[in-house]
Amino acid sequence: MSEKNQKTVSRIKEVESTNLAPDNIRNEVIETKKAVEKDNDLLAERIHQNFKEHNVKSFDIVGAIGAGKTALLETISQRLTTKYRVLVICGDITTRVDADRIEKHNAETIQINTGRECALNAYHIHQIIKNKDLNKYDIVFIENVGNLICPSDFILGTDQRIIIVSITEGEWVVEKHPMLFKMSDIAVINKIDLKERLGTNVDKMISDAKKINPNIKVITTSAKTGENVEKLMSLMGF
Amino acid sequence: MKEELSKIEELSKEYENIDISDIKMLMQKFFTKLRNRLENYVGDYPTFIEPVYLEDNVKIGDDVLIGPNVYIGANSEIQDYVEISNTIIFENVKVGQNFKLENCIVAKNSSFNFNNLNMKNSVLFGVAESKDELKTKDF
Repeated sequence: MSEKNQKTVSRIKEVESTNLAPDNIRNEVIETKKAVEKDNDLLAERIHQNFKEHNVKSFDIVGAIGAGKTALLETISQRLTTKYRVLVICGDITTRVDADRIEKHNAETIQINTGRECALNAYHIHQIIKNKDLNKYDIVFIENVGNLICPSDFILGTDQRIIIVSITEGEWVVEKHPMLFKMSDIAVINKIDLKERLGTNVDKMISDAKKINPNIKVITTSAKTGENVEKLMSLMGF
Repeated sequence: MKEELSKIEELSKEYENIDISDIKMLMQKFFTKLRNRLENYVGDYPTFIEPVYLEDNVKIGDDVLIGPNVYIGANSEIQDYVEISNTIIFENVKVGQNFKLENCIVAKNSSFNFNNLNMKNSVLFGVAESKDELKTKDF
C-alpha cells in the first residue's frame, strides 16, 4: 500500500470512531453549533417583536414535500385577501412555482430559493423583514421548504407554527417525525377526501399527534374540496 | 429599471466625482423596480432571496447568499461564502471569497483578488490585491 493510501486508511479509522468531529476540533464544532442556534433564536425573537409591534399575525407553515402546504395556502389566501393584506414568503430549493401559484390569489409573495439548504432560518426572514414596511401587511405566512426534519432546527419568530401532513404519506408519518409536532401549534392532516380510497388510519395519526404534543390542535382538511378549511382558519384566529 | 441603473453607473464611474445623495435616492428607486432574473448564472445552487437580477454569464461559487435587492452585471464572478444584499455590482467584476456586501455599489471592471471583507454603505472601485489597496467611498 502506498504511503498516501496508508494515510487515508488511518484517517478513515480515526473518523470512524467519532460521530460529531475528531478530538482536535470537537470542542470548536460544538461551540459553533451552539452559537448558530443561539443567534437564530435571537433573530427569531427580534422578528417576532417586529411582527407584534406592527400588529402582523404570522405563521410558519411546515410539512413534507407534496403534503399540500401550497394548496392550502392558495385556498386560505383566496379567502383572506378580501379582508386582509397578506404577504407570503415561500421557501424552496429552486424555482418560483409556489410563489406564482399563491400570487394568483392576490397575496404578495417573496420567493426564497435556498439552493442546497433544507429549511428556512431566521436570518433569511430577517433579511426580508428589514427591507419591508410591515405597516403594509396584516398577515405574513412563511411556507417553509418541504421537509419534516430540518425546520425543527430553526424557529422563525412567527406567532404560530402549523405542520401539514397528508394521508397519502401513510399513517406512520406523525409518529416518525415527532420533533416538528412537538414544536407546532396546529397539526393539519390534509387530503382527507382520499380517506376511503386509501384506507389510511387517520384516527391513529390524530392520536399520535396528541400523544407527542397534548397541546396541539389537530384538524383534518381537504385543500381540494375545501373541507374544514374555514375551521382551520378559525383555529388560526380568523 | 435600466434607466436608474445607467444613471448610477455614470455617477459611480469616477472615484473623485461621486454625488452620494443622488446615488442613494437612485438606488432606492432602482430596487423598487427590480424583478427576478436567475436563469443564466454559472455555478451550483446558491441561496437567492428575491428580487435578484443576474445578467448573463455571472459565475457564483459555493455557499453564497444573494439578496434581497441585488443586481449583478454580466461576466462578473462571485466566489465562495459570499453574502450580498441591497447591492449593485456592475459588469466584469470579481468578488473574493467570504465578502459580505450590504448596501454597496461595485464599479464596472473592479477586481478584488483577496478574501474576507465586510462592507456596508459604500462604493467600491478598482483592482485590489489586498484590503489596503481597496478604493472606497462611503455613503
